Amino acid sequence: MAVLVDGSTRVIVQGITGKSGILQTKSLLDYGTSVVAGVTPGKGGAVVEGVPVFDSVLDAMKSVSPNAAISFVPPMFAKDAAIEAMEVGIKLLVLTMEGIPKHDVLDILSYAQGRGVRVLGPGTAGVISPGKCKLGAHPARMFMEGKVGVVSKSGALSYEVGKTLTDAGIGQSTVVALGGGPIWGTNQREVVELFNADPETEIIVLLGEIGGGTEIAAAEYIAEYVRKPVVSLIVGRAAPEGKSLGHAGAIIRGNKGTAASKMEALEKAGAHLATSPAQVVEIIRKLG
Amino acid sequence: MKLYEFQGKALFREAGIPVPKGAVVTASDREGLFAPSAVKAQVLSGGRGKAGGVVLADTPDDAAKAADAILSMELKGEQVKALLVEEKANIVAEYYLAVTFDGESRTPLFMASASGGMDIESVAEHSPEKILKLPVDPLWGLTDYKIRAMADFLGYEDRKEFDGFVRKVWKLFREKDAVLVEINPLVVTDKGLLALDAKVEIDDDARPRRKQLFEAMLSEQRSLAGAEAEADHGTITYVPLEGDIGLISDGAGTGMLTLDLIRDMGGEAADFCEMGGLTSPEVMYDAMKEVFSGKPGIKSLLVVLIGGFNRMDEMAEGIVRYLREHPVSIPLVVRLCGTMEEEGKTIMKEAGLPVYDDLRTAVADAVRFAAGGE
Repeated sequence: MAVLVDGSTRVIVQGITGKSGILQTKSLLDYGTSVVAGVTPGKGGAVVEGVPVFDSVLDAMKSVSPNAAISFVPPMFAKDAAIEAMEVGIKLLVLTMEGIPKHDVLDILSYAQGRGVRVLGPGTAGVISPGKCKLGAHPARMFMEGKVGVVSKSGALSYEVGKTLTDAGIGQSTVVALGGGPIWGTNQREVVELFNADPETEIIVLLGEIGGGTEIAAAEYIAEYVRKPVVSLIVGRAAPEGKSLGHAGAIIRGNKGTAASKMEALEKAGAHLATSPAQVVEIIRKLG
Repeated sequence: MKLYEFQGKALFREAGIPVPKGAVVTASDREGLFAPSAVKAQVLSGGRGKAGGVVLADTPDDAAKAADAILSMELKGEQVKALLVEEKANIVAEYYLAVTFDGESRTPLFMASASGGMDIESVAEHSPEKILKLPVDPLWGLTDYKIRAMADFLGYEDRKEFDGFVRKVWKLFREKDAVLVEINPLVVTDKGLLALDAKVEIDDDARPRRKQLFEAMLSEQRSLAGAEAEADHGTITYVPLEGDIGLISDGAGTGMLTLDLIRDMGGEAADFCEMGGLTSPEVMYDAMKEVFSGKPGIKSLLVVLIGGFNRMDEMAEGIVRYLREHPVSIPLVVRLCGTMEEEGKTIMKEAGLPVYDDLRTAVADAVRFAAGGE
């Protein structure tokens, strides 16, 4: 099972002929992801790492029927590429690029909502269902198949926790990175909802950080609907107040969005709190 | 990029949004000073009204005194370098009107209140029902019924005028790639609506397609604030902190985790320096430079890398090149794993630099070294 991606995911890589596109396509193929086509306007007929390149998503759709796209299209052209993919029928879109103009992101997400398309990102490391499909930058050796579902805003933090779990012999069903914000196509609550409904996910790990309110919204959902064990790690406890630490989401305004307020909300919702990746492992071991 | 009020108002004027007549005055150019007038400090931070940065002057003498006083002020650490001197308005009511976006609900958002003025923050906190929040679908644009809802909420009678006003604000928001257009107060005068203030912020990510706008605004800001206006560090986020352990990470999430672990293990970081998840040897090099030049007295340097899109061979290359050109005497702890880690580890090994795989061990060593341990 897993969520978002699995063995039935057929991927196109938008912007496949760029530097990131080529390197990441190779890494997806090495993992066993079914990359059925690449798209770069004007490069139709080329072949990248054995993958056929088309001029348009429509051309790719006609010959290889993909159902998911990962985009490495440069920020100024990302919107057009995203709308193209969605209009043709792609239902899962992973936007890896940072720096897409905000109004373009808002347009993409409005269009996605109207079409029932799931968007991860922008600025996301993507998603991996270990042993089944990798649609993102997750380093293969840090993940193994299992029953823990992980959701994180930060890509790097999802690798860190994935690595710690894998080193401890604890496998994952799916590991999802949402992106650094300040606008998210998918949030923690929505992924928790997916994990909650996924029979192969037995434990949910929610990784959050200071700033914003999306972890609180997830906590409210957990309190009401989730009976699976939830383990949560909120980073940024030691961050100075009032300063932005990279992710635009990580800005404390007043006491809204502090690590303490999020940890309190999650604990109230019944989540087990960890303060380090190693502690996430300890808690999962105790849960049996 | 945040704009000064006078810059925002120039955009308003161009968009047909009514603003008071006024002139920009600086210490060296006081030509435009007149009275009766409102003399207003031009700063990028908020809250200038409460801090005394706006003075109403009835006579030319008053205006001159107000100009002297405000031009010598520092507001939230920002030296006042310019004033906007404007005609006074006959105010019947003060509204608040803004359009921005809400990242968590993924939509542009209009906010309107009949309780505009200096205390809008406390209205937001204590009487949120007095602020109408209306999401706007960017692809549909501003619909008639939403504009009617805003006019109803504010109790503004002239529907046609209000409709035109709000549409111009929305058009400006969209066409200038603004992330914030805030008018506080939007005043009702005997002659209709008037934007008494203008707070406009333009999306830095849109710079490549708004070159002219950015260059025009930046050159004005530079002539006022000098080099301060150019705080572009590319993808690097650098925040100086109180401790003595230099920190560099290739993700905000792992950077914050490391910050927490350093404190849990009894140390304090000297900085938070994050490079973003898709970077290059040059950025790695620049981050090292930033951390060493940003704060003296660093006792150990901890570099935490976990590559997805980032290539560890490229990161190692950046580290090794920096150290070759700027030998350092403090202990260096580099945790490096992920994409191309074997290649990265080889580059580090050839340069005689140790590499860690486990984050906790790396943090523990960085803390111990900073405390003078072996």
